[in-house]
Amino acid sequence: MMDWQPLVLTFKLAAITTALLLIIAIPIAYWLAHTKSQIKPILETLVSMPLVLPPTVLGFYLLVVFSPANPVGNWLDEHLGLQLIFSFEGLIFASILYSLPFMVHPIQAGFSNLSSSLTEASYVLGKSKSTTLFKVLLPNIKPSLLTGIVLAFAHTIGEFGVVLMIGGNIPGKTKVASIAIYDEVEALNYDIANWYSLILFVIAFIILLMVYLINGGYLKRFWK
Amino acid sequence: MIQIALQKKLTAPHGSMLLDIDININKGSLVTLYGDSGAGKTSILRMISGLLQADKGRITVNQKTWLDTNKGIVLKPQQRKIGYVFQDYGLFPNMTVKQNLLYALEKDQSNHTVSELIDIIELGDLQERKPEKLSGGQKQRVALARALVRKPEILMLDEPLSALDNKMRAKLQDYILKVHKQYNLTTLLISHEISEVIKMSDQVFIIENGKINKQGNPIEVFTTKQMSGKFQFSGEIVQIEQEDVIYIVTILIGINFVKIVAEENEVATLAIGDKVIVASKAFNPLLQKID
Amino acid sequence: MNILEGKITDIKTHGSVSLVTLLMGSVYFNTIIIETSDSASYLRKEHVVKVIFKETEVIIGKNQNYPISVQNKISGALLDIENGILISKLTIDTAIGKIIAIITTDAAKDLQLHVGQHVIAMIKTTEIMLSP
Repeated sequence: MMDWQPLVLTFKLAAITTALLLIIAIPIAYWLAHTKSQIKPILETLVSMPLVLPPTVLGFYLLVVFSPANPVGNWLDEHLGLQLIFSFEGLIFASILYSLPFMVHPIQAGFSNLSSSLTEASYVLGKSKSTTLFKVLLPNIKPSLLTGIVLAFAHTIGEFGVVLMIGGNIPGKTKVASIAIYDEVEALNYDIANWYSLILFVIAFIILLMVYLINGGYLKRFWK
Repeated sequence: MIQIALQKKLTAPHGSMLLDIDININKGSLVTLYGDSGAGKTSILRMISGLLQADKGRITVNQKTWLDTNKGIVLKPQQRKIGYVFQDYGLFPNMTVKQNLLYALEKDQSNHTVSELIDIIELGDLQERKPEKLSGGQKQRVALARALVRKPEILMLDEPLSALDNKMRAKLQDYILKVHKQYNLTTLLISHEISEVIKMSDQVFIIENGKINKQGNPIEVFTTKQMSGKFQFSGEIVQIEQEDVIYIVTILIGINFVKIVAEENEVATLAIGDKVIVASKAFNPLLQKID
Repeated sequence: MNILEGKITDIKTHGSVSLVTLLMGSVYFNTIIIETSDSASYLRKEHVVKVIFKETEVIIGKNQNYPISVQNKISGALLDIENGILISKLTIDTAIGKIIAIITTDAAKDLQLHVGQHVIAMIKTTEIMLSP
């Protein structure tokens, strides 16, 4: 029998990760798009690392750092009551790191493509930085925001290595769909594995199709 | 009275250049900055508005200090009451014309200002449109109206008319003059059209390599020989034709062509494209009312 | 443009209009301009200024004593005559410099002008501009 729990967990993880990522990525992207600081290349590199690094590397280091034996993991546990190893919270944290470039890059490109006179016009009209960000800049990069949201969401659904390393395989807590598929195949339940796979396949297809439709301007009339 | 003293090292296309100016502007006057591109005109406007930091300087506007690097006073752009019309207009694409204007309102300001400006600058038919649906001249008018919502102490226009054709340009010049008078504004305009400078401004500063080269009344500044003729225009020679023993020189003044009879010795010093002053005595021209 | 020099000897101002008298060699020229000593710094007695008028505004006469409303008159010898089909250009050598006059070829023929002849060049008061 197919268990819906891993799928539900997958989407819960993707939704929370994407929401948090949006909040985190906007200031990072804004800073990267506008700074002339010398450390910009370093930060850009760090943000982009998950694109090339095997997910297992990221997962491995997170496992080491957050294990109760490590001072960081120990401190988090004692002072904040956070156990990031083999927990849903840990999965969220790892997913945020892992999908960071997929959210930051489109938003950064969006900010960079806006004419600087929009920001300046808003400033000389007496508007603060935050008013300018929320009323002028963000509304004018909606397609970039949407691209970031969709890509980060899709990428989180598809992750496997990081989740396996740091989350393990705890039903209802860390057993997401991609792991469930692996599990079922191991147990030779090809039928169930096929159902999980098919659902993920269809969803991933729909999500990516949306991105291309938006980027190609086909959906422009619905998105104003 | 507006006093502006600014110094800044700028990186120009051909190496670096020291911008160093010290000017006084009377309240209510329309002043142009004239000069080649790269002379530092835009940087001056940006420093006055606070978008660019001066290395050293002082700006006082009607007794208020906006900038005094000696005392460490640097007001943010938000704190300086300015209207700025950008070269690329800087209209917000996500807002309609009216929303662009409403955005500029200050917290305690009434919507009335916006509807008044929509009337004066004749934006009524455009107010529900998004900027992408506007022509260059229309965008310009919206940018002008938006810059006026805050009732600025200085209105600054960065080559607002350079992208427009002659007809549109003349119309917009009239809009700018109209609001300048109506709101008793102090206006700073960047232009590199002599005819525009002469038509628009009370005072002109000629900027060369970051320094003020000449200043004063536009006609006096641009006319090397100050003539008593009161019928004076500046224009550009577009054609020189010989007829009999005389020459007929065609000159473009604003959007009008005029023909002037000239003698051989004069024509020898003139070429097509030259900027010239056309002068006659006030006694000669005829006036006829157009019905 | 004919550009000559003259010294301002008198300025009569009424409102914004001034009647300026200039000494040009040994003759006096008058010009009326919309300018006063306040509006134009060069408008001072004893100042030497440029006296400017267009070639087409020069009237040519043969007889000094003919009664005429034109106040500014100077005599000279015809140095050159260039006849066009409709328009002719005359160069007159006067005590205050060369003056060029552009008149119709018909008028030049009627006057039976020839090089070396003495003529009177006349310019209306309202046609003269001044420049420092």
